[in-house]
Amino acid sequence: MLKKMLAQLGIEEERVRLEWVSASEGDRFASIVDEMTERIRELGPVSYNDGGGNG
Amino acid sequence: MAKLKLALYWAASCGGCDVAVLDVNEKILDVAEIADIVLWPIALDFKYHHVEAMEDNAIDVCLFNGAVRNSEQEKIARLLRDKSKTMVAFGSCACFGGIPALGNFTNRAEIFERAYVEAPSNDNPDRAFPQTITQVDGNELELPEFFDTVLTLAQVVDVEYFVPGCPPPVDLILKVVDALATGQLPPPGAVIASDKTLCDECDRKKEEKKITKIYRPHEIIPDPERCLLEQGILCMGPATRGGCGLRCIKANMPCRGCFGPPAGVYDQGAKLVSAIASIYQTNSEAEIARMVDEIVDPAGTLYRFGLADSLLRRKRMPLAKAPPATVEPALEVIGR
Repeated sequence: MLKKMLAQLGIEEERVRLEWVSASEGDRFASIVDEMTERIRELGPVSYNDGGGNG
Repeated sequence: MAKLKLALYWAASCGGCDVAVLDVNEKILDVAEIADIVLWPIALDFKYHHVEAMEDNAIDVCLFNGAVRNSEQEKIARLLRDKSKTMVAFGSCACFGGIPALGNFTNRAEIFERAYVEAPSNDNPDRAFPQTITQVDGNELELPEFFDTVLTLAQVVDVEYFVPGCPPPVDLILKVVDALATGQLPPPGAVIASDKTLCDECDRKKEEKKITKIYRPHEIIPDPERCLLEQGILCMGPATRGGCGLRCIKANMPCRGCFGPPAGVYDQGAKLVSAIASIYQTNSEAEIARMVDEIVDPAGTLYRFGLADSLLRRKRMPLAKAPPATVEPALEVIGR
């Protein structure tokens, strides 16, 4: 539902990821975080443009 | 005691807030007793130049309703701020953007296209759009500039108090009038409503919050005694401020969220997603997909009154010109 809502707001689906990781899966947790960090880095920041556009 | 000087203004609003002020009925005479109204476009013939001629802080209280979506509204908001000791964001639009802020799912170009070209009643083959400056017979006509993004009042000027509601209920208006009359005002920044959520104040029977299907209000006749959410109707009560007098709930209609987020909550829609997702009862992907489909317009429903005031404020704007070299070409930029 969150993804559907964010899509309506123009936020890319790739920015959100839901994974279940057990407390015993430390390596998996680390690799998911690394992947996600890398993906967000590729996407770059969600730029705000607070100054312009109005008026 | 000298009479208070009171200004009432409407920006991007429907007029309902002004009508709500009149809804206090005979109490309006009490307002007239304690206050001289110096600007009220819906009811009295004062002009902007009357306000411009005043000293700064000459107005004691300004009740400002409506969001800010064009340059005239922004200019008057700044003018009234300069002239007023106390600025009150009156009604959901001034507080959170309100219904006009659903325009933040689109932008000026798209709105103009729809309003002046696409709408079936239009005949506009030359694609004429409103211009801020138009020359007619050697004279210059001026229109306010329409913004891409609808703003809350507090995004434009400093605001002392917030009175939410679409429109604010009579008892809250009288509370404000009483506070003004007695000078017993809450600390600046206060929201004149309840500190509880609507659910806290709701007296419907609440049992177990587990749902397997979402109904739109026209698809079901709800039991008037039971919690609406438990009946599968999207009710914004869990993440909406109380103090409204449960007007919708008593009419057997779900809360639409017009009182905005409760104390301590920044983003009403995000809180509502988490509240609703947590009562879905299923483990299968297919069932989840079906239920997500049952909420036809989640962003528009959960941010119905609060989009301008949310963390994201608007749908991201398509980039108008070529992005700088350091930005990925596919990136879009959020614009105001």
